[in-house]
Amino acid sequence: MNGEHAFFIDHARCIGCHSCVQACEECDTHRGQSMIDLETIQRPDSVQTAPQVCMHCEDPVCAQVCPADAIKMTPDGVVQSALAPRCVGCSNCVLACPFGVPKYQVELDQMMKCDMCYDRTSVGKRPMCATVCPSQALAFTSRAEIERTRRGHAVNEWRFGGETVRTQVYVMVPAGVPAVRVDLLRRDGLQAAPRGAAPPVDDVAVLLGEA
Amino acid sequence: MSANPATAAGSDVTRATGWGLAVAALVVAGIYVGSRGLRDFDPALVSYAGASVFAAFGLGYRYAMWLRRPPTRLYWRRGWAIFAQKGARRHNLRVLGRLVWDNVVTQRFIERRSRVRWAAHWLIAWGCLLAAAVTFPLSFGWIRFETAPDSQQVYRAFVFGLHILSFRLDGWLAPLAFNVLDLAAVLVLAGLFLALWRRGRDRGALVVQQFASDLLPLALLFAVCVTGLFLTVSTHLLRGLQYGFLSQLHAATVILTLLYLPFGKFFHVFQRPAQLGVAFYKRAGEDGAPARCERCGEPFASRLHVDDLKQVEAALGVRYGLADGGHYQDLCPACRRKTLALAQGALWQAAGRGPERTETHG
Amino acid sequence: MARLPVSVPDLVRRYGPHLNRAPAGGWAPAGEPDRVVPTHCCFCGQQCGIQLKVRRGKVVGFEPWEDFPFNRGKLCPKGVKRYLQDEHPDRLRAPLERRDGDFFAEVSWDAALDRTAREIRRIQDRHGADAVALLTGASLTNERAYLMGKFARVALRTPHIDYNGRLCMVSAAAASKRMLGIDRAANPWSDIPRAEVVLVVGANVAECAPITTDYLWQARENGARIIVLDPRLTPIARTVDLFIPVKPGGDIGVLNGMLHVMIGRGWIDRRFIADHTTGWDEVVEAVKPYTPEHGGAIAGVPPALIVRAAELWGPAKTSFLLHARGLEHHAKGVDNCMAAINLVLASGRIGREGCGYAMITGQGNGQGGREQGQKCDQLPGARDIENPDHRRHIAGLWGVPEASLPGKGLSAVPLVEAIHEGRIKGLLLLCFNPVVSLPDGNFVREALERLEFFAVIDFFLSETARYADLVLPGALMEEDEGTTTNVEGRVIHHRKVVDPPPGAREDWRIVCDLAARLGAGDKFAYRSPAEIFDELRAASRGGVADYYGITWDRIDREHGVAWPCPTLDHPGTPRLYEGARFHFPDGRARFQPVTWRPAAEPTDAEYPVVLTTGRVVAHYLSGTQTRRIGALVDQAPQPVCEMHPKLAATLGVADGDVVRIESRRGAITVRAQVVRTIRPDTVFVAYHWPGDRSANTLTVRAIDPVSHIPEFKVCAVRVTKVERPVDALAALPPEAGGLR
Repeated sequence: MNGEHAFFIDHARCIGCHSCVQACEECDTHRGQSMIDLETIQRPDSVQTAPQVCMHCEDPVCAQVCPADAIKMTPDGVVQSALAPRCVGCSNCVLACPFGVPKYQVELDQMMKCDMCYDRTSVGKRPMCATVCPSQALAFTSRAEIERTRRGHAVNEWRFGGETVRTQVYVMVPAGVPAVRVDLLRRDGLQAAPRGAAPPVDDVAVLLGEA
Repeated sequence: MSANPATAAGSDVTRATGWGLAVAALVVAGIYVGSRGLRDFDPALVSYAGASVFAAFGLGYRYAMWLRRPPTRLYWRRGWAIFAQKGARRHNLRVLGRLVWDNVVTQRFIERRSRVRWAAHWLIAWGCLLAAAVTFPLSFGWIRFETAPDSQQVYRAFVFGLHILSFRLDGWLAPLAFNVLDLAAVLVLAGLFLALWRRGRDRGALVVQQFASDLLPLALLFAVCVTGLFLTVSTHLLRGLQYGFLSQLHAATVILTLLYLPFGKFFHVFQRPAQLGVAFYKRAGEDGAPARCERCGEPFASRLHVDDLKQVEAALGVRYGLADGGHYQDLCPACRRKTLALAQGALWQAAGRGPERTETHG
Repeated sequence: MARLPVSVPDLVRRYGPHLNRAPAGGWAPAGEPDRVVPTHCCFCGQQCGIQLKVRRGKVVGFEPWEDFPFNRGKLCPKGVKRYLQDEHPDRLRAPLERRDGDFFAEVSWDAALDRTAREIRRIQDRHGADAVALLTGASLTNERAYLMGKFARVALRTPHIDYNGRLCMVSAAAASKRMLGIDRAANPWSDIPRAEVVLVVGANVAECAPITTDYLWQARENGARIIVLDPRLTPIARTVDLFIPVKPGGDIGVLNGMLHVMIGRGWIDRRFIADHTTGWDEVVEAVKPYTPEHGGAIAGVPPALIVRAAELWGPAKTSFLLHARGLEHHAKGVDNCMAAINLVLASGRIGREGCGYAMITGQGNGQGGREQGQKCDQLPGARDIENPDHRRHIAGLWGVPEASLPGKGLSAVPLVEAIHEGRIKGLLLLCFNPVVSLPDGNFVREALERLEFFAVIDFFLSETARYADLVLPGALMEEDEGTTTNVEGRVIHHRKVVDPPPGAREDWRIVCDLAARLGAGDKFAYRSPAEIFDELRAASRGGVADYYGITWDRIDREHGVAWPCPTLDHPGTPRLYEGARFHFPDGRARFQPVTWRPAAEPTDAEYPVVLTTGRVVAHYLSGTQTRRIGALVDQAPQPVCEMHPKLAATLGVADGDVVRIESRRGAITVRAQVVRTIRPDTVFVAYHWPGDRSANTLTVRAIDPVSHIPEFKVCAVRVTKVERPVDALAALPPEAGGLR
């Protein structure tokens, strides 16, 4: 990867414009296929959206669960799409990735995923999504620059239940937060959410005192 | 994995070594028996046979190691169990036949990635298979040719010492039989050129390719084909010029390729067919209950698959168990992505840098 | 006369919109491009830098242009996919002449230009010069905008030229000119992140000016508080400090209310007001009644929100106020903008680093397009067509008698009304799709049907061009060269990337050829857009929008130059009003007292719901270009009617149901999207689509008395749940106006 540069996500900046999704398919390693996800969390209640690139785990669960041993990392830590001769299209990686990243391509019977625009980052360019992102919810820059220009700090540690995952990609969190915990699924119907966070309801009627 | 990974790894190596030795022994036994106690064995080809035995060891070892991986083992076992289910065997056999036709014989699944890619792969694959079908039996002493005692113009072919056919040197079969390796070489070379041409045009492929895994195998095949063709050229056009040197060079390239076989890209030739079971596994999953996402309630995979993955994850030491007794594996990929953003947003809200809404309207 | 030659479905089948989904050569891995040309996106006023990749004479993709300072490589989805209009199957490749009952026939350029000139002469001979009008656009380069203004006054000698910037920028322009003296964003965008508080009024930044988002968020990273006024909880409103869900047309309630609170609490810069402004006392008097309660009642929001906004805005040391069409698209649009500028002037925070004010220009060349003399009342250099000095300067430059220059003409909406009344009989139009973009769409169609002769220059057969007698195939931005002026007033260079396809011609060539046929060839003897730019520079010299010191070379070297730039060694003026010097003889800004008045068409028992309109991020203006790009259509295939669940419940409408929206002028049928992020008394429909999906079928043909901007943001409608229509229009693909 680009020496001192790293990938940073700040979900709170995302405006759901789909630039990342549209630009992703312009990348040469997967031309015509968009590998990034942009989720609209719950449109009736909110305009909140969630961009998701591959986090490039230090010890990727996707590679661990691959029966064909088809998911490899480059020496600089970028987790690549499944090797075409090996991938058997079983979707273990799709289901096991804690970030929901790998994509099973039905027509190819293969897994493909975000490879941080390896054709670009390997020659010092920034990935497509982070270059075009109008809100810079996705940013590819140096740690020093991020710390100089953003509030909070960047962490790359995640807890999924008892599993700690460290990633090459960072996320912006308030100062003092050492890791992002994705721990509790509140089991009250369909509104499960992380601990302490109410489901997003941006209700204008409530703001107007009419609800 | 187990409580003591070091010991487990150690025992895996021992076990795999055992498998490797067993496969190698099987090949040695096959050579001995097939060549009728080495009576039909051609000592000139002993280096080929030796390399084949080593390759057999390597393949056995690698295969066993590969099957020790929890996800592979589980898929392997599940696949065979589903395949061998009572009542479905005949149907499964038919399906298997079709899978073999599609995936091995025609390899059409590659065409969906690109036509050039498919053509290249098909030419290389069938060139190699054709060459292997000739080279291994020959170097193992399983087949041999000799001139008929009654006529210099008739050749007789023996398989495992049994005379199976005779053909005339001036007939149509003879040039085919003697040049089958040249034909194979031409197929492979055509495939190689297509493959390199495609790579050269695909900026994406150029970037992610690595010498050892992507270019070395192509280089090896190229060397084998070219040196083999030189042999033919030397025999027929140059009256045997440098034949001895060329045949040693050819042998060297073939032996190198055989030694590389278990470790590099060629391993997929052995690995990939084992995964035909995935198709059976997927069907069994579809026939069973779906797994529904804990957050959105939508089906996102088969129950079988999700439960098996939990086992695999447990074996790998991936601890997705959640504080409330739930399991992160029960969340669909889309809801995982959403949950990440919600978790990040909640952290900022908790830090007091969210909207002021609650202040104004409690 | 000019009814559609064949039915809409037939026209769609032949001329599109069809979707282009893949670059030239397909998605298969491509080799290295032959050239990578830095230029600009054409799809909004921000004019982001972008590089287009060319292989074998065709645009095959893009590469972000990270060196260009405004956007640093950032692009919205329109920018990312803009290159797909190159090599588009719908491109017009020969002049088309209507054949009633049988589509259009391809004719030669000579025949088409001859006939156009002949028809114009015939109409002008019989009905006078002002029976022919010209409608143009704010997406044209400065060179083309300048050329169109000159063409109208010198070749056609008609006063009636106006442009679709009339639907966009004019309220802000009028307010700025009246109060600050110059119609331009007062500050470069780099001042936004330096502000302590940012007030965003009626600007859906995330969708209509996406690149500005990063500037806002950067301000927030630096500790700024952000306030947003909008009837909808937009993507930026979701996380800002204070969101005020103002009722459409109620902004003055909040703005005057804030000023009322600020005066009460002493959060005003008395020294600045005394030294650098006039008219403050009248403003104090005017906002006296605007208590938070009164303002809140007008704006339809709790008074506490107004107080809180004043608390954030009032005492700040630095600030930036941004507004866009949400504030401007009203029959009181100028008043709205003036109320906003009052807030800025009262705080004294303008003309310094981190202290600023800007309208977010919408159209591609929304800024430059309104300076070069294609407005009905304007001459180049943002000069006044009724000012004798200005007339003399331009007449001299053009080599025509001053008396021959026509006076002030009709603005867009009255111009279309004059066509409807039969006073204007001939129309030449380019870069404008009024059938989709003007209010009261049915009226516009009727007007076009009454024209004796109608010629259109366009690269696609737009919904408006379908009514034409003659269509002249023009060129895309990347097939021509020229300059535009971005949202900051930065003049930038659009390079020629590829040639127009065979059969199509650059707009300026078409116009010059036409001028020659009209006997004005000597005044239009340009050999390149560079020559037009040089004349433009001279024409603007000494004017407000002075481009004289700007050359294409300088632009390339300096990544754009901000006007005014009177001399070649002048650095340009990124920030206006430094030292609190305003553009009036006395240097003082003019406060303007503003009083709220209701919308032109208030809701009533018959039409009880407010309709407000706007844009989505995937489409540009009337959609002629973006509704032809597959990826953008996939992102936003058709308009929806956003409504709050409370309103939906009273209407018995569920998410995804088909609803009929009716106003006094017409009805459309679209799917409902039930969301909590909109005021319960308001519905929203984006306007990019034609026909029975066209929001502007509903909007009211009421205009601001000063700026003549139409009231796109408020009209009264009723909404009912209906079955999905099964007519031929509904069966069309959604990009052509169908319903899915």
